[in-house]
Amino acid sequence: MAPFSPATRCARCRALLQRPENGSIDTAVAVAICALVLFLLTTAYPFVGIQYNGTSRDTTLVGAALSLYRQDHASLACLVFITTVLSPLLQIAGLLYLLIPLRRGRQAPGMGTVFRLLTQLRPWIFVEVFMLGALVALVRLSAYARLVPGVAIWSCGLLMLALAALTSRTTPGQFWRWVEEYRT
Amino acid sequence: MSAPATGRSLGLLVCLQCRATVRGLQVPYPRCPRCHAHLHQRKPHSLALTAALLLCAAVLYIPANLLPVMYYNTLFEEERDTIMSGVLVLLQSGSWPIALLVFVASIVVPLLKIIALSVVLFSAWRRTPRYRTQRSELFRMVEFIGRWSMLDVYAISLLVALVQIRSLAYVSVGWGALAFGAVVVLTMFAARTFDERLLWETEQ
Repeated sequence: MAPFSPATRCARCRALLQRPENGSIDTAVAVAICALVLFLLTTAYPFVGIQYNGTSRDTTLVGAALSLYRQDHASLACLVFITTVLSPLLQIAGLLYLLIPLRRGRQAPGMGTVFRLLTQLRPWIFVEVFMLGALVALVRLSAYARLVPGVAIWSCGLLMLALAALTSRTTPGQFWRWVEEYRT
Repeated sequence: MSAPATGRSLGLLVCLQCRATVRGLQVPYPRCPRCHAHLHQRKPHSLALTAALLLCAAVLYIPANLLPVMYYNTLFEEERDTIMSGVLVLLQSGSWPIALLVFVASIVVPLLKIIALSVVLFSAWRRTPRYRTQRSELFRMVEFIGRWSMLDVYAISLLVALVQIRSLAYVSVGWGALAFGAVVVLTMFAARTFDERLLWETEQ
């Protein structure tokens, strides 16, 4: 294949096979730490609040899943919790667990299995879809109540970008190249 | 132009987890030397699994659209909202771009995804030689946009969490929302179990 092409594509079905990747592991660790901080902000602070006839109410990201659980929709609550809270957290924590030792030339226990699970988890991170869903909910509410955006709505927007950056910087090809590079 | 050499014709296996190319291992259950994932020439039982998941999704698409996804309760009345009536409410409140977004993401995309996956599955099963490139591209597009259907589930979860003005007005979830979430999850699994390479297999 042409070595200077920007991306390698399958000759048959034109699927993207590989992008040229030579990112630094330090950048990936930095992005992961950034994502972790944003994640903590997103879960700790209220996402959005409403004011209606003198009463006010707000919710966090976990609160959204919890309110479904309280209405006896445990399976739906699990779906929301896993896709917006658990998957992003596991992804960030898992990558830090693998990358920090790797920078120093060591391999975290169970590296292959952990990374494999992390790549399988990736399609289940729905933070960007959640943001769009929040937009829809807010538009519907804005007709009836005054909306008060919370800290988490901003940090969640940034988390969405950080997660996208993290995913594109830690593709399987890139990760295993680092493993070979840092093997000392 | 002759067909490009395939990994299988050269006795190579690719690890679908870490993308390592492995020289054909003649052991019963080969594993990837790099990440220890199981290796298969093709995803095992791909067509049957995809068909089963797709069928479940298609069946659940009906209650997802007919059952209420949300109830709006006040002291005097109870309003039911299906996905479609939610779109109409948005349209009446004058925010047609959002209404269009919800309509496309919640009604059009899941339906298109089910139809597209059925087409792809059928042609992989029949080994139809025509329009293979287009089918591959269709499959990848569907895999990419399918996840956006979930946005209504999140919108509902936020509405439920926020609109709880004790005994005066509150929003509760309907079973439609669960069916809807299940459609999205099942079609995602259906797309994942489908082995794209089966689209390119020729009659032996």
